[in-house]
Amino acid sequence: MARADNITSLFGKSPIAPLQKHMKQAHSCLKDFAAFAKAADAQDWDKADAIRISINKKEEKADKLKKKLRMNLPSTFMMPFSRRDLLDVLLIQDSIANITKDLAGLMMTRHIVFPEEISSDFIKLAGDCIKTSAAALAAINELDALLETAFGSRERKVVDKMIKEVNRLEHETDDAQNDIRNKLFDLESSLPPVDVMFYYRAIEWLGETADAAQKVGSRFEVMLTK
Amino acid sequence: MEIILQNSDILIMLGIGFGLFMAWGIGANDVANAMGTSVGSGAITFRQAIIIAVIFEFAGAVLAGGEVTATVRKGILDASAFTDTPHLLVYGMLAALLAAASWLFIASSLGWPVSTTHSIVGAIVGFGAVGVGVDAVSWGKVYTIIASWVVSPLLAATLAILIFKSLQNLVIDTEEPFSNAKKYLPFYVFIVGFIIALVTMLKGLKHVESLKHLGKDLPTSMLIAVLVGIAASLIAVFIIRRIKEIPEDDQEFSYASMEKLFGALMVITACSMAFAHGSNDVANAIGPLAAVYSIVESGGQIASKSVLPSWILLVGGGGIVFGLATFGFRVMKTIGKRITELTPSRGFSAELAAATTVVLASYTGLPVSTTQVLVGAVLGVGIARGLASLNMRVINRIFLSWVITLPAGALMSILFFFALKGFFGA
Repeated sequence: MARADNITSLFGKSPIAPLQKHMKQAHSCLKDFAAFAKAADAQDWDKADAIRISINKKEEKADKLKKKLRMNLPSTFMMPFSRRDLLDVLLIQDSIANITKDLAGLMMTRHIVFPEEISSDFIKLAGDCIKTSAAALAAINELDALLETAFGSRERKVVDKMIKEVNRLEHETDDAQNDIRNKLFDLESSLPPVDVMFYYRAIEWLGETADAAQKVGSRFEVMLTK
Repeated sequence: MEIILQNSDILIMLGIGFGLFMAWGIGANDVANAMGTSVGSGAITFRQAIIIAVIFEFAGAVLAGGEVTATVRKGILDASAFTDTPHLLVYGMLAALLAAASWLFIASSLGWPVSTTHSIVGAIVGFGAVGVGVDAVSWGKVYTIIASWVVSPLLAATLAILIFKSLQNLVIDTEEPFSNAKKYLPFYVFIVGFIIALVTMLKGLKHVESLKHLGKDLPTSMLIAVLVGIAASLIAVFIIRRIKEIPEDDQEFSYASMEKLFGALMVITACSMAFAHGSNDVANAIGPLAAVYSIVESGGQIASKSVLPSWILLVGGGGIVFGLATFGFRVMKTIGKRITELTPSRGFSAELAAATTVVLASYTGLPVSTTQVLVGAVLGVGIARGLASLNMRVINRIFLSWVITLPAGALMSILFFFALKGFFGA
């Protein structure tokens, strides 16, 4: 007597673990960029290319996770947060991986090596961006605890603090970006103009990863207030 | 009259046979729905679930099932329409039982979600309105029953929201969820034990000859209900005392130890669900049988006051146990495996809300669908933001099941009614 039961068909697949998994994947993409930046700085292009390929693969995997989660979210599902907000968070998470892929690709094709005066600043900026995204990942990882407390105020406060930390870290990356740009501006006249253009662009893109991490946090906050 | 006297044995045998068939269907499907969540949480094994089901379904049916049985037996139809033709009522009740049981069997084999309650109500109304006459049906009562199918899931949802929200504030979303759970959970068990006992005392026992006097005495009823509540909460205290907080478990997920406490109490919620189910759904099988028996035994008298003989309850209880043993355990297993999204704290809230609602429905004598009440309760927890993802298409399926089941049960019972009439004579 096989029966399509009311009770079992009531439960959909939780989107929470997949969302967390996707953020972990996107973050791991960006994390690899630290090693890429170091290899590029050392002009070890073989190693850099190997890391770039790994970043690409991770980005592809994030893309697949994104598509899979989207497919499992029919509009007939009732969730403790809006479906729209969840999809927005997912999309922004995905952009972290996308930007990282593009950045590594750009630096690889043009063999971008930063001038000595700012090379360490660039590597440090990469580290700061990774920290920001790690903080956003930590906030996303609280989602199962949030659900368990039914988005209770105590657990919300914990997450609010984490999101504030993301904002603080992102602000730091903004400052660091400005510093590098100022330094680069002073060196500009002594460098090949086309290279300078792409230095600016690489710095900008790297900064965008931290921006995206911050957006993940703020969009996540919106998602929690239903 | 003569037809009844001539065929009294065979009519009663048919009644027992069809009643067993129906009870078997209830045991094979419904019980699993009611208790699957407890099994799924891992708090009780299948063997334990079956033992609990046997004891509490039975207790629910015997102690608190009388009021719903009375409705199914003589509330839906107007007895005065059958004073001159009691044999038609006998045919009809037999036809309704066979129709509802067959429809359950067919629909379940095809995987359609149907409710035993809707099948039997549709079947009784069907033969009454078409086989005998529109006036034979107490339409007021039928409308009340249909209204209760809408109200009962809503009530369960409301109760579930209240229970879950209070748990959120008192236990889950606090500094020390584990020790707060230990402190407060016995109170919840007390309240549910008290309500179930009080309802049983006030309305259920009046149908049990030997315990009738207890229900008439309000102070005694209250006292006994309080004692039952205390006993239930003491059992809860005893169960959860043995569970220790394990900090290592809580590192990955801070609420792991607390959930274990809720999980352990799923034994109690399973008992209350089985009791509630027994108090409401067993009537679907034994109500018509009781009607057949009382008419045949009295030689054609439609007695408005007659006590349910205990062997009829045995038929109901036995059939359910048999259904559980043959098919129900398998359904329970699949449900238990699939409901992993419902963590113990949610299952606890939903089951307590559902059990309370069903017992209250039994108090008013209204046959409701336990499964749909449980669906309402789970949706309530979802509305309180306690569940990750609920498929709202289930609501459509519930409406669809009404639209299919009521006419299907009615149609089959009309056919069987005319067949019996042709066989035994008008």
